[in-house]
Amino acid sequence: MSFFRITLHRSAIGLPKRTRGVLAALGLHRRGQLVFHPVSAQFAGMIMKVKELVIVEEVDRALTKREVHDSRKPDPGFWLETARAVGLQQQQQQFQQQQQEEEVRL
Amino acid sequence: MSRALLRSVLELRAPVTRLLPLSIRPTTTTAAAAPAAASVRFFNQTAQHIEPTTQPDPTIVANNASPPDSVRTLLPILAAQPGHYITLLIHGRPYLVTQGDSIRLPFKMPGVEPGDVLRLNRASVLGSRDFTLKGAPHVDERLYECRAVVTGTESEPLRVKIKKKRRCRRKKTVKSKHRYTMLRVSELRIREEAVHES
Repeated sequence: MSFFRITLHRSAIGLPKRTRGVLAALGLHRRGQLVFHPVSAQFAGMIMKVKELVIVEEVDRALTKREVHDSRKPDPGFWLETARAVGLQQQQQQFQQQQQEEEVRL
Repeated sequence: MSRALLRSVLELRAPVTRLLPLSIRPTTTTAAAAPAAASVRFFNQTAQHIEPTTQPDPTIVANNASPPDSVRTLLPILAAQPGHYITLLIHGRPYLVTQGDSIRLPFKMPGVEPGDVLRLNRASVLGSRDFTLKGAPHVDERLYECRAVVTGTESEPLRVKIKKKRRCRRKKTVKSKHRYTMLRVSELRIREEAVHES
């Protein structure tokens, strides 16, 4: 099952109602929005109506909204190196060990 | 550092190379650029028609690949210079800093307390007075060590936004007082041993 990966590249401001209707039917509300639709004659026809505004690619898998968001997110660029995080983990481990010892005694 | 000095240093290290490496170059170059592209020579009489292939020469080819020759030859010189700066990328935003600088981030970082040490591993540019190491798109994180300490939280002055429509007496007041995390770059060190490791 292959999908059309459709990105709205040009804005719909100032365009006729019909074109805006087609974009709404495709689910494209703002510039840069990414939408996935299964490959079929219906969606191909809609894309042909707005082909000047849109960038289309054929892919195997449709990404979820979360996946698209994560692909666009830049990586943090840092990690926490402090001993406090390590110390907390050790404390938790000690607490668990104490609990186990108490159970054995009882 | 003058061009003549740089050339003499390069010749000492690799007497054969006559061309300046493309990825690390001294920032004081005002003379004409080094001869472009080919280091290939033709000894024929007839003119050769060669399509110019502009190969990008990134400083870092791949994570596992060894650093290119320019990095290997010039990184020690870069490290030997007295002062360095780095363009850190925190959540994709660039911050040009040197050791001892304070950064006010435009957000409050969750889960950190004053005194926590952050190790920064994304940089786009690492440089000194005469040399610049440009990442494509990032500088290899094995080549440097950069740490920042969280010094505390700052806040902006209280902002009051009054929302009111014309010809209506009712007013709504919205208060804002955003908090921002402050960092201080405690360490910036260039790791020359990384060049020898790979």
